[in-house]
Amino acid sequence: MALKTLEIIKKRLEERPKEIEKARREGQKVVGWQGYNIPEEIIYALGLIPVRIGVGGDDRMVEIGARYISTKNCVFVRETVGLFAENNDPYVQNTDILAFDATCLQTYRTAEIIQYYFNKEVLILGVPRNFYWPEAKVYFTKEVEYFTRRLEKQAGKKLNYQILADTIGLYDRIRNAIVTIYTYQAAAGNYLSWEETYDLIHAGYYLDRREYLSLLEQVLAELREKQGQPFIEAVEGEARIFLSGSVLPPGDKKLIKIIQEVGGRIVGDDLWSGLIPYLDVKIPENSLQGLAVGYLNRTPHGALPYLDLDTDRRIKRLKELIQTFKAQGVIYHTLRYCDPYTFKAKETKDILQKEGIPLLEIHTEYAGSDFEAIRTRVEAFVEMLKNRYDEEVAV
Amino acid sequence: MANVSAFAGVDVGSLGTKTVILVDGEIAGYSILRTGINTEENGLHGLETALENAGLKREDLKYIVATGYGRISAPYADKTVTEITCHAKGAHYLHPQTRTIIDMGGQDCKAIRLDEDGNVTDFAMNDKCAAGTGRFLEVMANVFKVSLDELGPLSLRATEVLPVSSTCTVFAESETVSLLARGERPENIIIGIHHAIANRVGGMFSRVGIESDVFFSGGVAKNIGMRKALEDVLKVKIVEPKKDPQLVGAIGAAVIAQNSWKRGR
Amino acid sequence: MSVSGNVFRYPEEIRDDFLQTADIQFRDGSKASPAEVWHYLTEIGPKKYPHIYDYSNYYGRKISGDVTLPFSLKHNYLIMTMDERMTKAKQNGIPVVFVQGGQSVDPYYAAGAIALRPASVGIWASCQHEGLNLNQEEVRRANQKEKAYRAISFEVCQSAGYENIQEGTVPVDMIAPYSCLRCSDVSYGLEAHRHGKRKDVKLFLADYPLDHQKDKEWAITYFAENIRRLIESIDELTGGKTTAEDLRKEIKLHNEGRRLAMEIADLWWSAEVPPTNGKDRRDLFQMGGMELHGDPEASLSLLREAKGYIAERVKKGQKGFGVSDNPVRIFVCGSCVFPNEYRIEEVGGIVVGNDNHWSDITTIVEEDGDPFYNLAKAVLSYPYEQSIKERAKWTVEQIKRSRADGVLFLYNWGCNTQSAVARALVDEIKRESGVPTLIIEHEQQGTQSEQLQNRVNAFVEMLK
Ligand code: SF4
Ligand code: SF4
Repeated sequence: MALKTLEIIKKRLEERPKEIEKARREGQKVVGWQGYNIPEEIIYALGLIPVRIGVGGDDRMVEIGARYISTKNCVFVRETVGLFAENNDPYVQNTDILAFDATCLQTYRTAEIIQYYFNKEVLILGVPRNFYWPEAKVYFTKEVEYFTRRLEKQAGKKLNYQILADTIGLYDRIRNAIVTIYTYQAAAGNYLSWEETYDLIHAGYYLDRREYLSLLEQVLAELREKQGQPFIEAVEGEARIFLSGSVLPPGDKKLIKIIQEVGGRIVGDDLWSGLIPYLDVKIPENSLQGLAVGYLNRTPHGALPYLDLDTDRRIKRLKELIQTFKAQGVIYHTLRYCDPYTFKAKETKDILQKEGIPLLEIHTEYAGSDFEAIRTRVEAFVEMLKNRYDEEVAV
Repeated sequence: MANVSAFAGVDVGSLGTKTVILVDGEIAGYSILRTGINTEENGLHGLETALENAGLKREDLKYIVATGYGRISAPYADKTVTEITCHAKGAHYLHPQTRTIIDMGGQDCKAIRLDEDGNVTDFAMNDKCAAGTGRFLEVMANVFKVSLDELGPLSLRATEVLPVSSTCTVFAESETVSLLARGERPENIIIGIHHAIANRVGGMFSRVGIESDVFFSGGVAKNIGMRKALEDVLKVKIVEPKKDPQLVGAIGAAVIAQNSWKRGR
Repeated sequence: MSVSGNVFRYPEEIRDDFLQTADIQFRDGSKASPAEVWHYLTEIGPKKYPHIYDYSNYYGRKISGDVTLPFSLKHNYLIMTMDERMTKAKQNGIPVVFVQGGQSVDPYYAAGAIALRPASVGIWASCQHEGLNLNQEEVRRANQKEKAYRAISFEVCQSAGYENIQEGTVPVDMIAPYSCLRCSDVSYGLEAHRHGKRKDVKLFLADYPLDHQKDKEWAITYFAENIRRLIESIDELTGGKTTAEDLRKEIKLHNEGRRLAMEIADLWWSAEVPPTNGKDRRDLFQMGGMELHGDPEASLSLLREAKGYIAERVKKGQKGFGVSDNPVRIFVCGSCVFPNEYRIEEVGGIVVGNDNHWSDITTIVEEDGDPFYNLAKAVLSYPYEQSIKERAKWTVEQIKRSRADGVLFLYNWGCNTQSAVARALVDEIKRESGVPTLIIEHEQQGTQSEQLQNRVNAFVEMLK
């Protein structure tokens, strides 16, 4: 069922580290970034190579990272620190500058630790927590400006606003393509699975963004040809699952595999490492302020608090997406010590329960020791969704 | 005996393998064996023993459902179902008014909510934390140098509930040791431990909502002190099971086997 | 009956001297004379709150036996009267605002509210239950906590008073902490209140910008706006209108507290032998934060009086009660957890300082000019909230001034942000000061376990 373009992407990903190495030899600089609110457009427009760093699923790396940051930090940041401690990952090796944002305090701390122990140049972008205030937008704009000034120094040139406009256009098209591809994967008779879509998104963390867009467009062309107009509907016997909660970065496939193994079908997500950063992005004008405001106006990351439930756009978006993708249940993934998402699990469950949508929380780390335990839960959840024993009369 | 339609449920747990044979909706035989190393053989052996006990032959079995962690290596089964779904069916079979099951086993601890037909509507299990498991109480029993069975009755002799704040095995052990070193009475500490677990279990399961009647199963269900602490802390009524609560998963599996066969699946 | 039957009594011999000491002045203009305090401590308190008088040595919050330090007695009086005083304030229409650790409380008081941290709210809640012995009180606390874990998560390091507000009876009107870097849980904990039972509690977050915040004009302006909005939100509760002048006045008052605490610290640290035990020292230094009693004027009157007593002891070379000769001096870093000071003293050590809470006390706010801006700038320069190197630099200064022999970094199980920098900070401190260090993770919130104490004691023994 695999699409041809996916093969090409796979090959291009294999070649990419060497390519980046070569570009660096020719004087280009690589910015490795992590966070939710870094406007990547600026990095790209300055002729720097953006790479989104951070992978998951490797317990050994987590252990290494924990020597510097603590065991009470989420495994994602522990693994990030581990990556730098070991310095074997080609992207990490080829990072000239790091950019982290302060959305999640643990990411912020990670930046501090990497800076302290591994002597990396780290740029931090402050992020306001009262993000819906007008004053917060002013503050964030200033932070983005300051961030840009520092990047300009690294790039050795000033930001050209014509190039920025083109870059924003490029990124808009990438975002639109991803959103459209999501509809295809959730449709009946799909030629692309959610997992493949997810990998496709992660390919965009590394490939050159212009090339990436053309690859996405090729994927879309293939899908149109094979699948025609996508139509999302629930087919009998399916257990359509929506994924929410903590980050599932490249490499962390434990839960995804389990869900598929026990017969569940993932049809959508609102993950930081999935669809959500590409949704609802409207850059109102070609300026740093436009970028700042556009980024801040997206559905926010779980680390930014909404003090009033009625205004919470995360919850609102979650409900809408569940509907759009015709999901029957939510698996809410929380990483151990990921407070931004763990603290919301119970509340989210209560809210969705009122809508008749069941939620299963899976609280885990990267170690494989809980594989069986998770499998039992997910399997029971899938059994529940399929309601295989629905009309059975009890004996 | 001609034309018997029998159905089996096999529950291969980490400690025991339980098998139940159902004929006409009634339990015709069962077996409880220690789980050995070979999972598949355990199941088969359990089946044989239960069939013997029921006075039936292998050919009489129309449908077999396997459950428990050993379900993945059960080629003899027509279908495998998780213990969560089976538990619900089993508890419903034994006590149709059951709305919540609290199951405290050797390694894990779970709460299951069910509707009036015995369908699972929600469930929760402990993650990694040993609180509420047999293992935890075993460690505690060791500290007091008593057997696991004595813990419950001892707790009933307490004059006062002592605060025990940890429900993490390692920390609770050290906390208990220091309480003993201070000269506190063991039974007061033991009841404190039971309360701490009940509290934690109540917390873990508040997400599914605990409603009466509560069916208490698993190895720890035999501990009278735990039962009492749960009733005290959660303010619920725990029903007295008519059958050995250990069998509940296997019963549920057998019920599912019978229903599946009837529906031709 | 449990073994914790050891009961503390204030000795009659000290009564006459105590009656000569100063009144406690309250914010509402009222006073408590030493005679009233004495009556309360010897007659009312023991009946109402038996657990406070529990004198078992494993009880880390037991009453300090240093009975000739009047501020220590008065402090206990203020703690025990928390419920009465808060109830009275509320009857007078004063809103109570819940805040979090490591921050100053000037703007809350300027707007006519009372600001309480989790520990103080815990004391208030505890004071609502009379006649409990120590075990009963601890069981009550543990049960309350468990409710908070249910509602939020089991990974909350400490429930930050959630249980007392949402599940309990503490009538807090507003929850409005600063989202400092010290703690990642502040904003999530605050957010968790939005689905709690109490819909009438107002929520507000003073958004603390990060990363070289004190050097960025736009960060200071943004935080100043946060303070302005915070005060406006409190004004909505009181119906009043707080002016810049009100804030300036309040800042001056709090600056006096901060200065006094620093002067006292210098005296204390300069002494050859520690003039008080660790528990009294910690209470005294912390009073400079003006939060401890829910009444800045009361804290101030204690501080003013205390300074003289400390100076006198230092001059005479008098040692604090229970302190050994030549104790090993320990400086404690980290968050939200204290070792049992009495037990440290038993093995020949003493805690001479903490970084948490001290960082905001040592930051004096500029008094001339725009008070919103000045306060914002001061708050954004708390040393505890700076980069690893800057925070370490300040900590090393405190270590040197306090002449500490060793540094302990303690953090709660589940404390993400402090644990994250524990190693880096300690490595930097070691590099800059050469002082031996130890990191300890404290497993259980609120209680002081044997395991923690064993490690602390071993560290002290090592340094001897
Ligand atoms: S949001 Fe969660 S998973 Fe992501 S960095 Fe923060 S704590 Fe870790
Ligand atoms: S222990 Fe740490 S994370 Fe928890 S409240 Fe204290 S500072 Fe915050």
